[in-house]
Amino acid sequence: MSTGTHTETPGPTGVRLPARFRNVDPFSLWPIAVMVAIIVVTALRSSHYFTVFNFENILSQVAPLGIVTMGQAVLLISAGLDLSVGYNMAFASICTGLLIEHGQPLWLCIAAGVGGATLVGFVNGVIVAQNRAHPFIITLGTSILLFGLDTQLTGGAPVDDMKGLYTAFGGNLPRGFPFFGLPSLTIPLVIVVLFAFAFLRWTPLGRRAYAIGGNEEAAYLSGISVKRTKIYLYTLMGLVVGVAGLVLAGQINQASFNLAQNFELQSIACAVIGGTALFGGRGGALRSLQGVALWGVVQNAIVFAGLSSNYQQMALGAIIVVAVMVTRAQR
Amino acid sequence: MTENRTGTVRPLLEAERIDKSFPGVHALREVSMNLASGEVHALVGQNGAGKSTLVKCISGVHAPDSGRILLEGEEIGTYTPKHAYDLGIAVVHQRAQLLPWLSVAENVLLGQMPARKGVAIDRGRANELTAALLARFKLDIDPEAPVARLGTPERQQVAIAKALFRKAKLLILDEPTAALDAERSERLFALIEDLRREGVGVLYVSHHLEEVFRLADSITVLRDGLLVATQSTEGLDQNEVVTLMAGRRLEAVGGRNDSGVSAGNGKPEALVLEHVTTDVLHDVDLTVHEGEVVAITGVIGAGGHDIARILYGLDRSYTGRVLLGGSPYEPNTPRQSIKRGLFMVPEDATRDGLVPWLSVAGNITLVDLRTISRLGLLSLRREEAVARRFVDRLRITARSIATPVRNLSGGNQQKVLLAKALAAEAQVLVLEEPTQGVDVHAKAEIHLIVRELAGEGRAVLVISTDIRDLLLFVDRVVALRGGRVAGEFVARETTYAEVLDLTVGARGVQAS
Repeated sequence: MSTGTHTETPGPTGVRLPARFRNVDPFSLWPIAVMVAIIVVTALRSSHYFTVFNFENILSQVAPLGIVTMGQAVLLISAGLDLSVGYNMAFASICTGLLIEHGQPLWLCIAAGVGGATLVGFVNGVIVAQNRAHPFIITLGTSILLFGLDTQLTGGAPVDDMKGLYTAFGGNLPRGFPFFGLPSLTIPLVIVVLFAFAFLRWTPLGRRAYAIGGNEEAAYLSGISVKRTKIYLYTLMGLVVGVAGLVLAGQINQASFNLAQNFELQSIACAVIGGTALFGGRGGALRSLQGVALWGVVQNAIVFAGLSSNYQQMALGAIIVVAVMVTRAQR
Repeated sequence: MTENRTGTVRPLLEAERIDKSFPGVHALREVSMNLASGEVHALVGQNGAGKSTLVKCISGVHAPDSGRILLEGEEIGTYTPKHAYDLGIAVVHQRAQLLPWLSVAENVLLGQMPARKGVAIDRGRANELTAALLARFKLDIDPEAPVARLGTPERQQVAIAKALFRKAKLLILDEPTAALDAERSERLFALIEDLRREGVGVLYVSHHLEEVFRLADSITVLRDGLLVATQSTEGLDQNEVVTLMAGRRLEAVGGRNDSGVSAGNGKPEALVLEHVTTDVLHDVDLTVHEGEVVAITGVIGAGGHDIARILYGLDRSYTGRVLLGGSPYEPNTPRQSIKRGLFMVPEDATRDGLVPWLSVAGNITLVDLRTISRLGLLSLRREEAVARRFVDRLRITARSIATPVRNLSGGNQQKVLLAKALAAEAQVLVLEEPTQGVDVHAKAEIHLIVRELAGEGRAVLVISTDIRDLLLFVDRVVALRGGRVAGEFVARETTYAEVLDLTVGARGVQAS
């Protein structure tokens, strides 16, 4: 090391951190801390709370949201976002559901649902990449368009039997090792979380997402094809949304236009609560998962406190505001 | 105490021993100056001399670390732009900050629109007020026109009118003629004369010494954050000021070509521009040989930046021809440029060159993720190895290579950008303002590094407005004026004054 003028002092020579393993700021784990506090308090107040059954319940409640949040976090990191998530999930479920009603083989139904949502993601990506308009307004437009399409496709009446999908995601895994009777949608959740984690950490595309979100001009001047990267990211988001849509539809055994209302804002909220920057450049899969976990625990604890769902909304709203203030203070 | 033509006794503005540091840079060292009402006071100095920091302290953007600023004898206690504005200190920037979708009148009277019965805005009255103000300073602008429709010179005038409406006592003009042609500049000078008569104090920040000598009653020269002189312009001449600005601080680096011929070093041509012409550039010819460091210099707007943009695929609207390594070169994107072996370090490193939250390693390897990938996945071990190699090589000082680049000093950030060029395996480097905003020590290091890179056979094109600095490490200097090549020098055989004269001095004026 030279003696160049600098603001930083060289670290102790023995410490060699792998490039990406930055020291985790303990402060950024605040959602976990709050969550633990809530769990302890609620457990002390209610003897039914601290049970395997209840935590399975929380898990199955937030799993679809968790899946979408992973995709939303990647987009937020790239300074994008997707507001068409809710109706795109519904779109996936409807594509699949209608084909199931027509007696098509399950693999084809699933492929149609996931493929349809992925196509929507691709279209979002192309429009966002080609126009310099903010993804907020573009995906809001897609969202409204999809709402109309979803309602038109189903005639307003839901598909009520998801057959194989319900078998897959409606129940629980076998008891004992290695699944311990967890809700079966834990599996897609874990897969998507691991995928998002690996994607952000170990893929060139994930790295480009950080670069574009952190400084789009610098990314472009570094030879990154910004447009192509955005198209890939939104297409992947479509894929994740498709998976989430089918998982949710299977869980509740229903495909309808209002399958996943408010998932777009909730997923953004969870990612931001977890510490992913709303305007790009920073964040991660596990961090965002913290937000989902806190979200689920709070919702559940309010029920145990015997309060109405209005209080859920108030509590969740307050958490978002606090999250933003905490993130600001960290800078 | 300054002297001035109006002979006011009490200075309008007194800056006393202003000291200001930023991470890695001591920007101002106990600088003092005074300015009286009705005085036009020029602030000159090379890039990085501390002019803009001083302006920012006076206008409340930065609080000085020590020292105090007095307006009409009252100390300014709080340093916020709003407070400064309320006290009567207004800054008009090169790019005037106005609300484009509002009318001229609405911009001028912003927040102080006349209202009927205190509610409804009285548009007619607002237009009258504005028209009267504009007429007083002989400005021919329609008060009802939306600002978006005005050109840069008119916007500047609107910004000045806005300041005057608020009874600005001190008007700071930052490089006001940078975007103006000769005729528009004349009109601005006339306006400044009017301001002088009205008793407004004007702090005139400029590179153009001619203008300074024409307008200013007194002049303050900064160099490396130090006050070099603050005195009346009478009894000074342009050459003396040039000498004051230049000073001497760094030693020239060794290893430069000694052939002394402006034709280059006899090695193959790495980069050739032939008759390159755009809106700004006129028939520019330029050659950079392998192993050679060539500088393009000129005042802001002279065309250096435009050449960089063409070379990096950011501007395709030109005629003429560019050859890279002997074959035609017409990049459409930076990506294509990098593939052809040319890398550009942009002028504003922090704004355009680096991803602030990404680690040092992440920024360095961003230009070539393939090298650090295995089977399509990033290998963090390879990334670390590549990054560490360049960090050591360029002597980048950071806590670790995992530190976000935003925590690095300006000099180290600049070095990270050079490391990116190495990671991209570029054979031709285009460096815009490579030593801007870094301190003397870091400058010396960057000089050395650039020489080393050239010594390994790379061709380096430096685009810089800092003549004194570039003369220390380049082989040849090409002076641009008004988009034309005004002259070419062998760096060792020329002087700061000679080059400066060609870029800003009287000789080039008629040419443009």
